Amino acid sequence: MVWDIAKRELYDNLNSLRFALATVLLLGLMLTNAVVHLREHPERVQQYRERVSGHQNHIAAHAESSLYDLAQQGPGDLYKKPSDLRFCAEGGETFMADRAVGGYHRWSTGTLKSFWILTYPSATPNRDNVRPEVTKVDWGFIIGYVLSLVALLFTFDSISGERERGTLRLTLANPIPRHTVLIGKFLGAFISVSIPFILAVLVNLLVISTSSTVHLDAEAWGRLGIIFFVAVLYTCLFLAFGLLVSARVQRSAVSLVILLLVWIVFVVFMPSTLVSIAGRSTSSGPTYDLWERSSKLHGELRRDYSPRRHKEPEGTTKRMEMDGAYVTEDAEQQEQLHEERLTRRIAEVHRARAITRISPVTIVQNLIESFAGTGFERHLQFLENVQTYVREFRTSIVDTDNADPESLHIFGVRTGMSQEPVSPEAVPKFEDTLNLSKDFNTAAMELLLLTLFVLVLLSGAYLAFVRVEV
Amino acid sequence: MTLILIRRELLDNLMTFRFAAATFIMLLLVVANTFVLIIDYERRLTGHNDAAKMHQRQLQEKITYSAGMDRLSADRPPNPLSIFNVGFDKRLGNEVQVSHGVVPSLWDGYMHGSSNPFMDMFASMDIVFIFEVILSLFALLFAYDAFAGEYEAGTLRLVLTHPIGRGYILFAKYIGAMLCLLAPLLISLLLAVILLTTSTSISVNTDDFLRIGGIIFTSVAYLSVFYLIGLLISAATRRTSTALMLSMFVWGFLVLVYPNVILTVIPRSEAPDALRTSAFNRIESIWDTFDRERKHYLVTDDFPGEDWGYELRGWGSRSAYFWDNPRTLMYTYNSIMDFEGFGEEDEPKMPHAQKHFGFLGAQTIDAAGRTWLIRKPALEEIFIQPANVERVWLKLSPVGLYDAATQAWAGTDLLGIRDFFHAARQYRQSVINYLYDHKVFESRQWFAGDKGAADWSGLPQFSFQRDDISTNAKRALPDVCLLLMINVVLFIVIFLIFVKSEV
Repeated sequence: MVWDIAKRELYDNLNSLRFALATVLLLGLMLTNAVVHLREHPERVQQYRERVSGHQNHIAAHAESSLYDLAQQGPGDLYKKPSDLRFCAEGGETFMADRAVGGYHRWSTGTLKSFWILTYPSATPNRDNVRPEVTKVDWGFIIGYVLSLVALLFTFDSISGERERGTLRLTLANPIPRHTVLIGKFLGAFISVSIPFILAVLVNLLVISTSSTVHLDAEAWGRLGIIFFVAVLYTCLFLAFGLLVSARVQRSAVSLVILLLVWIVFVVFMPSTLVSIAGRSTSSGPTYDLWERSSKLHGELRRDYSPRRHKEPEGTTKRMEMDGAYVTEDAEQQEQLHEERLTRRIAEVHRARAITRISPVTIVQNLIESFAGTGFERHLQFLENVQTYVREFRTSIVDTDNADPESLHIFGVRTGMSQEPVSPEAVPKFEDTLNLSKDFNTAAMELLLLTLFVLVLLSGAYLAFVRVEV
Repeated sequence: MTLILIRRELLDNLMTFRFAAATFIMLLLVVANTFVLIIDYERRLTGHNDAAKMHQRQLQEKITYSAGMDRLSADRPPNPLSIFNVGFDKRLGNEVQVSHGVVPSLWDGYMHGSSNPFMDMFASMDIVFIFEVILSLFALLFAYDAFAGEYEAGTLRLVLTHPIGRGYILFAKYIGAMLCLLAPLLISLLLAVILLTTSTSISVNTDDFLRIGGIIFTSVAYLSVFYLIGLLISAATRRTSTALMLSMFVWGFLVLVYPNVILTVIPRSEAPDALRTSAFNRIESIWDTFDRERKHYLVTDDFPGEDWGYELRGWGSRSAYFWDNPRTLMYTYNSIMDFEGFGEEDEPKMPHAQKHFGFLGAQTIDAAGRTWLIRKPALEEIFIQPANVERVWLKLSPVGLYDAATQAWAGTDLLGIRDFFHAARQYRQSVINYLYDHKVFESRQWFAGDKGAADWSGLPQFSFQRDDISTNAKRALPDVCLLLMINVVLFIVIFLIFVKSEV
């Protein structure tokens, strides 16, 4: 019986204007998305490859010179790997730096040179961008905005419309329980919305996978499957909501007005308004603060060490130890300063993102970002990878130095460290990786939240329909 | 008779649920967002004031002119009307260095306001965006059943039995619904303005009220365009359900899809790389010549040796470097000598050094001026023209027109921001005039603070005043006129359809 009702709904919808329009709209958007991705992605991958080999050459050049050189210059810039699934979610990638700088130099006095520190540059693509600002048409946009609107347009009259026409009475006159009717209606609407969406997704993936320049591996397909599942869940949310309002309201026109208003408030306005509220308490301070604090810290350290250093004559081990302590302490201090600022900034974004989770569209976009390997969580993963690598790099320097019996083991000064050249193969290289299980962990909460919303709305629709008078 | 019709339409619309919902949602969104936007504006204003104060302090700390000229900058305060349409106000650089070696342009700007660049990834809001989305939706919701509903109910036939022209009926429908739609628009805008004026940090002058008036007028024109689109659909389809569906998809397309998709669909018009390279090469050759002349001077002057610092052994720092950026065609030479004191043996070298810096200053200014003559048209061609092509594409949708016109009224459009950089260039000129008038380049204070520090009190102060209302009006007028034209065309088309249709 459920299936009969669903079939009737389906036939009704397939012949309707909205089905045709939705198909055209979704197909057009998905096609655009695929074409744009094919146009932009190969360039990104190529650039990343060149940069990685640049990083390796940098290490090789300094390793062959001497251990001190490598320890002083650092590993060079470390680059973020572009995700192959960037067409699913753009994720504000342009607003996050594509690198961490591991070789930032500040000063040199006489024979002493500052050691490298790890810094986190910020991307400000808008500073001199005079082009008009637009949202990227990725899956996140298509699913978050367009698909949800389509879902509402398919359900707003599914119960109230039948009540207006009087057919609901007729249906209920048969010995069918009400929940069967509701499930049938839900299934019918769900399949009608899914057909254009699946069609559009298939066309999109077909275009992308047939291209020779972009390659999707098995893991990418798995991730796409999860993203599709998230999209389905999100569609269910709006279908359930449409049914709920449609069951409660007497007239279809009123039902549509309510649905659209709620949609606009939650989907269009809520995210940006909430962010503005969250952004009120900026704690990270302006950029120039960092430079002022950095030079102040360095000045204090210099004043502290200078007299003690100059007491010892040049060339003695005591002096070398003092110099080394000065250089390493300075590098530690400065690096900590940069890291503290980064932590504060991340905390701020976390706050903003937590607040915007009230809006379902933010949840779904966060989810798609997580599984597509783009966006903020992915950036944090990249930073974590960088920090792990940097620890590894430093340990390897210490180990190499310890292995040389002629070295004095004094870090920070040229004469205190191993003079042997290092083989470039022995130095660890940075490789940025994506980890699905980690993505799943960050996304689990949002996935549960979305499921919860769907369940609440579905049971709401059920209660509303069961109690309604026909 | 027309009056009776208008009254009927008005009453019909006023008593509906959609009118109540429209008013409620508009008020809610506009008031809540104005509140948030004012706080955001205040934060940006504080950021601006802090940055300006810090720049002033850093300048005052410098005891030599050459070090100070490296620290002189112009700051752009946030525009209070960015609450209505934020435009480029938050995006483009809001501080720019004013030195004698570079003619400042938009591409040399920095941001002091954005303390956390990650936060830029969240979309920002303004009141015009709310109107863009909501007004258009309500206009369509009010219009979809205007004709189709009456066809179905049969009341249209009844009305037409009376001796009135069809044009009058159309006119009455239009006026009645527009009056209804104007109510939430005007009430919410008035509330926004009241909130704006009660805030202590925002000073709104007469010109600003006129600008807000312009924004309101443009909003009404925009509203009317969408109402007429709805009427057109309603008159053409004759069935409410079809009209409703079509209206919703048209709305989704014009408001949601088109503005975001069109720029990715059209081929990106990029200026050829050759243009950039050739401009940069010409700029490079200017500075090569500059460098040759500089070295030539050092070789040929009375002082032996070629050191630009004249082998002065003092306490302080010195640095000289060329700085370039091929992407933005930036090229400059900077020499800073910042000494607190000198030894006895340096005194005879002083006149030579002073003469040299006098020569170098004039030479740098000249080279910077010639660079700008090449850089200005090249930047225009590389950055501005492709962006303008994209802007034209966006204007094919009424949403784009409305956005562009309100940006122009608010002064947050590209031209409004470029006015600031223009003012910065004028300021640089007045600073240079001051430096010449007081023979600062040849003075000892240019590089040494031992005999009296640099005097910053006489230096001209930078202040940026937005252009007066007539400039805004001139910039907004083409788009407003286009909106009005669309109105007239739509009205005529609807009239023709309605007159010819059988009831």
